[in-house]
Parts: sequence; C-alpha cells; structure tokens
Amino acid sequence: MAKTILIVDDSAAVRQVVGLTLKGAGYDVVDAVDGKDALSKLDGRKLHLVISDVNMPNMDGISFVKEMKAKPAYKFTPVIMLTTEGSEAKKRDGQMAGAKAWVVKPFQPAQMLDAVSKLILP
Amino acid sequence: MNLDLGDALQTFFAESRSLLQEMEEGLLRLETAPDDAEAVNAVFRAAHTIKGSSGLFGLDDIVAFTHKAENVLDRVRNNELALTEALVGLFLGCRDHIERLLDITAAGAQMDADTRQQGEALASQLSRYMGQSAATLPAETDAPVHHLGGARTADDTWHISLRFGRDVLKNGMDPLSFIRYLGTLGEIVHLTTLDDALPGASEMDPECCYLGFEIRLSTEADKARIEGVFEFVRDDCQLHILPPGSRVADYIDLIEALPESNDRLGEILVACGAVTQRELGESLALQACESARLENAQPLGEIMVERQIVQPELVDAALTKQKEARQRQAQEAKFVRVHADKLDSLINLVGELVIAGAGVGLMAARNKDSAMMESVSGMARLVEDIRDGAMRLRMVEIGETFNRFRRVVRDVSKELGKDIDLSISGAETELDKTVVEKIGDPLTHLVRNAMDHGIESAEVRLARGKPAKGTLQLNAYHESGGIVIEVVDDGGGLNRERILAKARDKGLIQDGDHLADRDVWNLIFEPGFSTAEQVSNLSGRGVGMDVVRRNIEALRGTVEIESREGAGSTFRIRLPLTLAIIDGFLMGVADSHYVVPLDMVLECVELNACTDRNEGCDYLNLRGEVLPLLRVKDHFSLKGRASRRENVVVVTAAGRKAGLVVDELKGEFQAVIKPLGNLFQRVRGISGSTILGSGEVALVLDVPALQDEAARAGSAGVTA
Amino acid sequence: MELSSERHENRLRLHAAGELTIYHAADLKPALLGALDQGDDIEIDLSDVCELDSSGVQLLMLMKREAAAAGKSLSLSGHSPAVLEVFELLGLGGWFGDPQVLPAATQRGEA
Repeated sequence: MAKTILIVDDSAAVRQVVGLTLKGAGYDVVDAVDGKDALSKLDGRKLHLVISDVNMPNMDGISFVKEMKAKPAYKFTPVIMLTTEGSEAKKRDGQMAGAKAWVVKPFQPAQMLDAVSKLILP
Repeated sequence: MNLDLGDALQTFFAESRSLLQEMEEGLLRLETAPDDAEAVNAVFRAAHTIKGSSGLFGLDDIVAFTHKAENVLDRVRNNELALTEALVGLFLGCRDHIERLLDITAAGAQMDADTRQQGEALASQLSRYMGQSAATLPAETDAPVHHLGGARTADDTWHISLRFGRDVLKNGMDPLSFIRYLGTLGEIVHLTTLDDALPGASEMDPECCYLGFEIRLSTEADKARIEGVFEFVRDDCQLHILPPGSRVADYIDLIEALPESNDRLGEILVACGAVTQRELGESLALQACESARLENAQPLGEIMVERQIVQPELVDAALTKQKEARQRQAQEAKFVRVHADKLDSLINLVGELVIAGAGVGLMAARNKDSAMMESVSGMARLVEDIRDGAMRLRMVEIGETFNRFRRVVRDVSKELGKDIDLSISGAETELDKTVVEKIGDPLTHLVRNAMDHGIESAEVRLARGKPAKGTLQLNAYHESGGIVIEVVDDGGGLNRERILAKARDKGLIQDGDHLADRDVWNLIFEPGFSTAEQVSNLSGRGVGMDVVRRNIEALRGTVEIESREGAGSTFRIRLPLTLAIIDGFLMGVADSHYVVPLDMVLECVELNACTDRNEGCDYLNLRGEVLPLLRVKDHFSLKGRASRRENVVVVTAAGRKAGLVVDELKGEFQAVIKPLGNLFQRVRGISGSTILGSGEVALVLDVPALQDEAARAGSAGVTA
Repeated sequence: MELSSERHENRLRLHAAGELTIYHAADLKPALLGALDQGDDIEIDLSDVCELDSSGVQLLMLMKREAAAAGKSLSLSGHSPAVLEVFELLGLGGWFGDPQVLPAATQRGEA
C-alpha cells in the first residue's frame, strides 16, 4: 500500500513538479492550494506526511499545521515546511507549530525526495 | 502542463536573469581580483541556483550545461584550480550561453545547431579543466589518511551512536524512518537497540521515545551526508559519529559521553565489533590512571569527530563563511520585491493626492478659513512626505547600470586592441527607475564612442607621454536637484579644427562664424555629424550623437562636453531625478500660469527697482553680472493687460543663468507633470503641463530651451 | 487497531490487528498491561499487524520486561511482514528470543 502525502502550496508549478516527483518515487499524492483547502482534505483518510508551504493566501502553512495537529487523526503526522532561505523566524514558528522538518526553496525535485525519504520511505 | 507551469516559469526566468547579472559582475570583479573568494562564491551560487531551479522545471539542457560550469567553478572555489584570465573568459562565455539557453526556452524555441555547437565547444573547454582533477584528485584524497595517528581499530566502518529525545514521536518523527534511510546510504552491518532509557510501566509515557541505537554503517558517504540523515531531529537527539579508522581512545571518549554505564557500553561496542575486549580493557585502564593524575575528565561530546577529521582552521574558515552567508541573507531579507506597476500606480495616486491637496488649500484660502488653512498646511506637509517617500521607492542606484559597462568596456577594448581601465565613482547615487532604464542606451553610445574615438592606441599614447593604458571614468553625483552622469576619457580630446571643417562641409556653419569651444563641441550632436575618418563597426552603427542628445533631452536632461586637446573629454549628462513630480515655482504671465522647476530658480527681483534696463536691449545687470532676459509674454505671444510691475525670475540650468520676465510671482507649487499631447510637442520652451488645484492648467517651462532663446536674443541685442 | 484475547488452557493469547503506532500507543499501553494481570503465559499474535513503529516496538519491549519482572512468560508469534521488517532492521529477534522470527522470503518460500 503506497504511502500518501499531502502537498499544500499555492503555486501550481510547485504542486505539479513535487507531485510528479513523489508519484514517480512510488508515493500517493493529494494536493491542496492553501491551508483552508488542505484542512478540507483532512477527512479521515490516512496521511503519512504533509508538505506545506508557509506563505499562502486564505490560511498560511503555520496556522494550517496548528489546526491539523489539533485533530487526533493527524496529531502525529509529520510535516515538511517549505521555507525560504533567510526566514529563520518562520522556520522557528513552523517548528513551534509542530513542523520539525523543512526544505529550503528553491529546491530540486531530488532534494525534496531526499527529505521525504528521511521521514517515510515509499 | 506547460500552461500550469507558466507562472512559475516566468518567475524562474526573471530570477535566472538577475542571477546571470550577478554572475557577470562577479566574474568581472574576479578579472581584476582573482582571489576575491566572495566573488567566486557569488558566481558559484548563481550557477548553482540556476541549475537547481532549471532542474525543477526539467530544463535538462540548462541543467546539463550549467552543471559542467558549476563543476569547474567548484574546483576554483575549493582552490583546486587557479582562476586565470582565460578561465574568467571561459566562464563569461558560459554565462552568455546559459543566457542564450534561457532565451531559447523563454521563446519556446528549439535549440538551433549554432547554439548546440557553441555549447559543445564550451563544454569541451570546461572538461579540459576537469581533466586535471582526475589526475590530482586521488592524491589529495589519499593524503588525510596518513595524518591520523594512534592505534587504530581494525575495521573501516562508521560508528553511529543515537539517543532519541522524548518528543520525536510526538513530532511525527519515527526513529525507524531515519534508520531505514540510513540503510539506503550503505549497509547497516550491525545495529543494537538500547532500551536502557525505557522506564518502568507506570512511568512510561507511550507517546515518548526512549530508544537508543548503536549502529555500524559501512558506506562511502561522508560525515556531512550521514549527519544530514538526522537533519530533522538534530535538536531532538544525541548523535555521535565516529569515522572509519577511529582510534580506540575515541571510542573511550564516546563511552564517556553517552548516558549509559561504561561497562554496558563497552559490552555493546565489543558486540558491535567496534573495538575488541582487549583494546577496551587496556584503554580504560590507561584512562583511569590519567584521570586520577589529572583529576580532570577528558573533554567529552560531539566535537571529537571534528577534531579528528577536520583541521581547526578549516572549521574556522567554514564558520566565517557561514556567518557571512547569514549576514548577507539577513540583508537580502530586508528587501521586498514589488512589481514596478504597483509603484507606478501608487505614485500616480500620490500625484492625484497632491493636486487634490492643492485644491483644498485653495478652497480654504478663498474662504479665508484660517483654522481650515492650518489643517490643510499640516496635511500638505504629510502629503509632501508621502510624495517623497513614494518617489524614493522608485529610486534605484545607478551602480547596477554602471556595472554593466564593465563587460562592455572589457569586450570593446579587446575588440579594439586597446588596453582600457574602467573606473566608477558614485555608483550609489540614486535616480528614478524610469530614468535609469532609459539612460542605458545613450550611455552605451557615449562609452563606446569614448573608447573608439577618444582613447588613442597604446603607441600614440606612449608617444604623447601618457600611460599606455587608457582610463575611462563613469561618475555620478547629485547636483541641484538633479543627477549628473559623466563619461570621462583621458584620450586625445576633441579636435576643434576638424570639427569646424566638417561642419562647414556639411553646411552647418558659415565660414565667417566665430564659435566658442562649447558651441563647437555641440556641433557633434547635430544630425549627420561624424568625425571619425573611418567609421568603425563599433560607434558607426548608424546611430549618431544626435540620437544620444535626443534621448537625453527626452528625459528632460541636457548633455554638455568639456574637452582639452590631448588630455581627454568629458561628456556631462544632467538629468532630473524623476520625471513625474517636481517642486515647481508658479508664475503668472498675462492670464496664464507657468511653472519652472524650483531648483532652477536662483532668485527673484523686481524689474525696475534694482536693474539697468532699457527697452531695446534685453539684458539685465544683476549686481554686475550680465544676464540675458527672456520675456515670457513675448515668447509665447501672449496678449493681455500690461502689468503694473514686472518681475524677473533668475534661473540657472547647466551652469548658465538667464532671467525670465513675468508678471506675477505666485510661489512654490508641487507640480505633477503630465506629458504634452502630440500637438504641443513641437512648441519650443515647454516641457509639460500640470493642473493647478483650481483646475486651471499651467505649462512647465523648458528652461534650457528658453535659455538658448534668451542667449540668442541677448547676444543679438548686444551686437545690435 | 484492535486487541482481542482468547484463553487456551493456561495460555492467554492476544491478537493485535492493524497499526501498532503512535496514534494508538496511548490506548494500547493500558490494554496490553491489563492483559499481563490475566495470565502467566502470554502470547501476542502479530500476524495481522500491518504497521509497526518505534512506539509499538517500545510497548512490546516494555511488555517483555514487565512480564519477566513479574516472573511470567511472554512470547511473540506470527510476525507479519511489517513486524519482521522492523525486527530485522533493529536486530530485535535476539532481544525477544522468539523462535518464530524468520525472514519473510524464507517463510513465503516454504509456504
């Protein structure tokens, strides 16, 4: 049974590129365009990992992770935050919210795959 | 799919272009200072980032080519390769090739044969620099092994000690995942799971992690890569890594550093095959002796790995690097990228606000409402601040434009076979973005012109007793509310006789005309004028100096020349800081309103009071200085009541003074300049219009043009 | 996650099905420890465990230790592929000392 990853990013390009990479590596992928949309995807399905951008319209990544972690079914779901270099403060905020892993943008698909593999192998 | 990636691709293109710009600047800096490590890093970073994001979009051609360049750059960065002039040239070529590849991709075109060939040629040149690495690399990698001293353990496997923090599971991190991933780096030869930290049933929190692991890993990965596996739990675990060939003493240190009892760890390490029972026994005994003597425990902790495999100075260097990188990031983080359109619309709104503010002020004045007037003047001050702030947002340093000329100067001097240095001053001088964008072309022309026609060949220079190396200067500075940009060369200067001869040939002047130097120099700006005996392929591109002047005048700027035979010439461009809003001085003539930029106004005097004036002769004796006078009313053929009193506004532009005769002085006024319609563009003496608070239109006077007029009228008057 | 138990003479057989993971650890701990009071000879059947993580491993280790401390016997049986993978990775076969632990491939080959 393939493991399922939720990608939350407002950039279609990022969702697409990351999605293709992860599917190619054997993961199942669900995507969401922002924090609000992502919350609606937390419908009880099993998620093995969440990859979330920080800056997004409607609901940012940090608020999303906070809300997600409040749901028992997703309390322990690991989160990779997509941070930008130089945004140490954001990284800290993300870690406080429960996102302990991060990938610095811009990244190559291989880097993303590497980070994901550290947390879950397909 | 292309449709969806479009937005991101555009961002990618914009980003890549600015990185290429950085790369070029870095390379040019390296040409003069090959040891500038920061510049090497900047160039490397640029290539690296372009490669990275190209990868994200699957632009394989760009990735493949950039990768090759990056490899060679990496060798330069690691001081494996000396940065020669030839190598800088090669990197510049690579930079241009990447730009070409980007252009092709952006245009959605296929790579043509030429480009492909070019790429292959560059790649083969690059591979020559990589070729050397194959020969030297093994020797370098062999070296460190010989430096290691002490009794060594027999195996060549890494040892990793892991103690996970209590919270990792709650954070969604499963230690198992990291170990699984570790397995992908090589082979886990041995693994012991430690339950020593697991408490009794009553105290055990099932959501806390109590596990520890001693791992023997056989891998070719380096320490950084192994550490990288635990990147996300770095703050949440104790990690000790011992490289292959670590001394027994290092394992002893490890045992000291770990929480479990020494005997227990000793057993585990022996079970792992990290050390033998005998080695362990001897070392422990030895250490017990020593610590008894010194009463001082050995230094513990994670530093041991660094101590052994990395030299301290390398660590220092790396730390300094990181600090620099952090500072730069912090600096970068202070900037926000904003689309220029947003700034334009903000400035437009501020412009409207200024006009509206003036309307309110007028209303208050008309109603003689003093409280209102006071509020209005407070508001006006704020509006003024907002206007200044908004304008400052659009201000950019001219340095970036100047820096682009390093490449131009480098390429053109190679092309011409002249050795020319470029020196830049005032790079931090700020001016409006629109002005910066539009000044590039005229400036390029002046620079090329100076290099081509201005600076002589090395032989001629030596014969004239000048250094063989020519110098070109680009200077910028602020002067009376505008910016001055100078292109200075130390070449032969303009040849007065040759220009005059040419001008007579072309019928621009008459035989009998006596012209001041300044007027002679200005002749080269006349359409169709070119003094070079042979039109070289550089300057003679069908674009004459007349176009340069036209472009500059279109920016409400002026250009003047200073030249000394044999010593060089200076082309001095004066530009307004901004095109949108000026602090103006409002004047009334007959029933019309006119505005001149306030910074051009020197003083105002009443015409009859303190001046010698006679009707026929339009000049003014101002405290002994003779100024040409220009009657605005006559110039624009205005009819209207004759005013009882006339005033003179003394203006200056480009170092010349003149007096404008007007009826009424109305004082300072912020003018939001609207461009003139086509119909009025040919009217001399007017550069734009503006709307007053009352809704009336005022014309903005083009002072330099009026000065020309006044000078002509004045000199006619004097000679008459 | 489901934990059911059945008694065969003196032996208490627990059947764990589903995920032995952090999501269920808080419920699993009292359930497992409770079973310790109900017999002296306990077997945990892991054949239907589809996922096992560190928290599950810890709980099994805790059970083994508590049982030993109480002078009882605890054995694991029917290791599912998911369990075998983890045990193999962490070298836990020897720690638990249950003979049933066989590499998945061999088991399948013989079947």
